[in-house]
Amino acid sequence: MAASMRLLFRRVIRLSHRNVNVTAAGAPGRPAGCWEPPSCRCFSEAAGDRSTHFGFETVPETEKAKRVYKVFENVAQKYDTMNDAMSLGVHRLWKDTLLHVMHPQPGVRLLDVAGGTGDIAFRFLEYVRFQQERQKRRAARLMQAPSWQDISNNYSTEEEDGPQESRAVVCDINKEMLRVGKQKADGLGISAGLSWVVGDAEELPFDDDQFDIYTIAFGIRNVTHIDQALQEALRVLKPGGRFMCLEFSKVTNPVLARLYDVYSFQMIPVLGEVIAGDWKSYQYLVESIRKFPDQEEFKGMIEDAGFYSAKYCNLTGGVVALHSGFKL
Amino acid sequence: MAALLRALRVGSALRGLGSVVSAPAAQPPCSSLTRGFHRAALRLQDESKADKPPSSSPSSTTYHEHYRAHSAEQEAAGAPQEHSASEPAAKEASRPNTSYQDQSGEQGEEYETEEQLQARILTAALEFIPLHGWTVEAIAAGAEMLGLSSASTGMFYNGAGDLVLHFVSQCNSQLTDILAEQHNQVQLGQAEPKKTAEFLRDAVETRLRMYIPYIETWPQAMSILLLPHNIPDSLKHLSTLVDDMWYYAGDRSTDMNWYTKRAALTGIYNTTELVMLQDSSPDFQDTWDFLDNRIQDVVNMATTAKQVQATGETVVQGLMGAAVTLKNLTGLNQRR
Repeated sequence: MAASMRLLFRRVIRLSHRNVNVTAAGAPGRPAGCWEPPSCRCFSEAAGDRSTHFGFETVPETEKAKRVYKVFENVAQKYDTMNDAMSLGVHRLWKDTLLHVMHPQPGVRLLDVAGGTGDIAFRFLEYVRFQQERQKRRAARLMQAPSWQDISNNYSTEEEDGPQESRAVVCDINKEMLRVGKQKADGLGISAGLSWVVGDAEELPFDDDQFDIYTIAFGIRNVTHIDQALQEALRVLKPGGRFMCLEFSKVTNPVLARLYDVYSFQMIPVLGEVIAGDWKSYQYLVESIRKFPDQEEFKGMIEDAGFYSAKYCNLTGGVVALHSGFKL
Repeated sequence: MAALLRALRVGSALRGLGSVVSAPAAQPPCSSLTRGFHRAALRLQDESKADKPPSSSPSSTTYHEHYRAHSAEQEAAGAPQEHSASEPAAKEASRPNTSYQDQSGEQGEEYETEEQLQARILTAALEFIPLHGWTVEAIAAGAEMLGLSSASTGMFYNGAGDLVLHFVSQCNSQLTDILAEQHNQVQLGQAEPKKTAEFLRDAVETRLRMYIPYIETWPQAMSILLLPHNIPDSLKHLSTLVDDMWYYAGDRSTDMNWYTKRAALTGIYNTTELVMLQDSSPDFQDTWDFLDNRIQDVVNMATTAKQVQATGETVVQGLMGAAVTLKNLTGLNQRR
């Protein structure tokens, strides 16, 4: 017990001296307990096996997916609690903003990739349900004194096309996260119009032209080949469909950036250790945010994939960026 | 038509690079230029249909090659270098919309710009306004009619405001076309030139008649136009409308009259529009009578103003005379 506490303290002190801009040179003096030594395997693989970043480490591309899987397998149970703790609840506002910008019309189909615990899908279904109720109320207000003709029309057209058709599909590569999400859905009593699919963002198990809206919230930085994920998004979207991505990004304000860095590297792994008992996963989380391209670069990647009208807007001063593109 | 659209599309990409290509806005008399673009774009389209690029570099290099190949026969010799410098804009503009087209090979709308597509969606949405009002639902219905998902309404960040402003500018350009046509007729001697008052009356009536299909929901549209973030645009449309009307009425004034005339016509137009909203007479006859009366008022006021000025001068002269007479009577004017 005392030994582990001492280990914790040593880690904290080491990390507090670490420069934020450490590149993939590997973590200095990280205990080789759970992680396999990365740099040995980098260039000893067969030709064609490139390396990518896993946080500030460099790992072979084939490794990254496995390690990300393990990370999320470990954190799945406490994922939502940790989100609330780390962002002080602000992540709910970010996701609400995503829905408001999306403004889905009744009857659209949503694909939420890396949707894990299903936050976006739940909000989507609630939003659409609210819109439909509002429309029904508006229609009812207009029909305060229906004529016999109107009443007979209402009876003849019982099958309304819009309401029951909004469907959300939550797709995630990690079964644990989906399991937690399903439990949440059962707890909230949401079941209509919701499906849970296991799938890889780089190779979605869906046909072309299936979905109206594709969202990926805080998941795309974990994908090994981001451009492939974007290509897949383009493929499964219907013409006119919208790609929306919520992701951590570069803070524009320098003062806020400094505070954010201190908070990220000092507080978040500690929170991870205390609440979820997993320091390294949250260390990975914070590092992966730093490795993700910034707003303009990601917008360029979206345009390169073939989306039109690519735009982004910064939330919370650039901590989170909401990117959007259309398949036209 | 297709060639024109392609020219417009590629031309707008070049415009973004600041190069001096004459294709974009003007109807191209330089048909060789558009043919050059046509060929380059066709070949590009075939190539990228053949190999669906996960990496976009193949299509871009072919695009550059063809651009250089055709640079000799095009006036835009300076364009290719600038093109290679800024890839994404050019690629975005020139990549064919293979997803939006059915693969039967229709090339009609493949190279339109985003603005043109948005205009088409909004025009299609106008049909659904009696049903949904001036709302995003109408735009969604319009998009679905064109075969696009309703999620594409996200392109319109101003929502219903975009729809209303699009409709207003569409009506304005229709009016300008009609007035230009009448002007041509007069020039050719096929029609009699109208007097100013009558011309303005007819112009305002023509313009307001365009609202008749949407008159039920027009109050909603007007309220959208009055929202603070829409006011600059709606004022701009109103001022260009009034300016065009006066221009075709023959006004070439360069003094204070320019402002007073336009202010007067703006007042007439706005009040007539408001009357039209509440008019229930057959074919809006009350509205046109109101319009007649207002124009007559303005004409009368102009003549009255002249009369007042003349009278004023006369009165002043009379007073001067009276003053001199008095001075004479009292003997102050004498010189000893």
